[in-house]
Amino acid sequence: MRKMLKKEMTLSASFLSYLFIAFALLAFCPGYPILLSAFFVCLGLFQSFQYAREANDIVYSSLLPVPKADVVRGKYAFCVLIELCAFILSAIVTLLRMTALSEAAAYRANALMNANPAFLGFMMLIFGLFNAIFVRGFFRTGYYFAKPFVAFIIVSFVVVLIAEALHHVPGLEAVNAFGFEHAGLQAAILAAGAVVFVLLTLVSEKSAIRLFEKVDL
Amino acid sequence: MNVAEIRGLCKEYPSFRLSDVSFDLATGRIAGFIGRNGAGKTTTIKSMLGLVRPTSGSVSYFGMPFAGNENAVKPRIGYSTGAVNYYPKKRIRDIVAVTRTFYPSWDEAAYDEMLELFRLDEEKRPCELSDGMKVKLNLLLALSHRAELLILDEPTSGLDPFSREELIDVFKKLRDRGTAILFSTHIISDVEKCADDVAYIRQGRLAAALPKEEFTARFGIEGETLEETVVRLERSEADA
Repeated sequence: MRKMLKKEMTLSASFLSYLFIAFALLAFCPGYPILLSAFFVCLGLFQSFQYAREANDIVYSSLLPVPKADVVRGKYAFCVLIELCAFILSAIVTLLRMTALSEAAAYRANALMNANPAFLGFMMLIFGLFNAIFVRGFFRTGYYFAKPFVAFIIVSFVVVLIAEALHHVPGLEAVNAFGFEHAGLQAAILAAGAVVFVLLTLVSEKSAIRLFEKVDL
Repeated sequence: MNVAEIRGLCKEYPSFRLSDVSFDLATGRIAGFIGRNGAGKTTTIKSMLGLVRPTSGSVSYFGMPFAGNENAVKPRIGYSTGAVNYYPKKRIRDIVAVTRTFYPSWDEAAYDEMLELFRLDEEKRPCELSDGMKVKLNLLLALSHRAELLILDEPTSGLDPFSREELIDVFKKLRDRGTAILFSTHIISDVEKCADDVAYIRQGRLAAALPKEEFTARFGIEGETLEETVVRLERSEADA
């Protein structure tokens, strides 16, 4: 699997996938729907799928001395790697906003989602949805990806809208609390996001392997 | 000794049907796989390699069914589909650097030898190569890991006559070392020059899979070349 991941990183990946990890820094922006940073990271991953398709990567990979399932596992491993890099960068920004920058006026006046553990949980949810909707959808044909990507766009924007609206619901203000106030609730949302991410990724990977086994290249 | 056994291979598409294709490939022999465009050569080869899922039939390599033994079988096979058409913007050096990590039997000396023989520049990108040079690059990758069986789809198409001759010489050398080769082509004269066996496919059905001499004796007319024989067979089929 290490070899497949290296192949993904050196031959199949678009430079934009790496560059778009930097969108995690959007979490610094006050008055911005920072959860969109997760969407932009996924957009960077989409660029790799587009580049790989143009480069006939799937045929090359399928001819390597590995089972067909490893072609799918390689793509998932690459996506998870990029997603975790973006998550770690977001977590660092979040920690800064929760500590050193917690009293900054720009953040205190923020009407939108704050960078806190709940935000990180929603980020994991979006990454999980990308893996389940887009990556799995791509392996239905190994070629077409427009429909799965449109489906992912719609679902991810709905998640962003719900996440942004949640803390305006009476009684749920704690979801958007500053600093370490209500850290327990927010940590629970982060844990739930992480669990959903792992489940969506593992289940969709298995499903994608089954789908790809039936594809004629 | 057989290195590959193909039995009853069928593949159905809405507009094409590959029916009951069976043949063997033996160590140290070159098999020419001939047939007109669209006869089913590429579908057969892709089915043999798992790129296409056969509707029915089985493929075994080195005494093992391909299905379920891909890890054991694939490193022992070299495959090339005409010109390299992947990673057009990557340097050859980078493509090779990744490819070689997948093959424990990668032969650096063989790679260097082929690189020189084919006059390929590792610093170039596939998009900078002519079609003929792309074919050579694909062959370079297929030949550099000491494959015991080479499956080559149209390897000589797009090559100039000099390069084709060079390639045929390479095939003969590999055969002498015990490598089995299956190559599909519609350039019948290439088969005539180097093949030991001929598999002839017509409209998705294998019309014959025989040693070349036997094929000529059964289907040919005295004084005819193999190409003339095959063209005559195709015409008679079309007239029927």
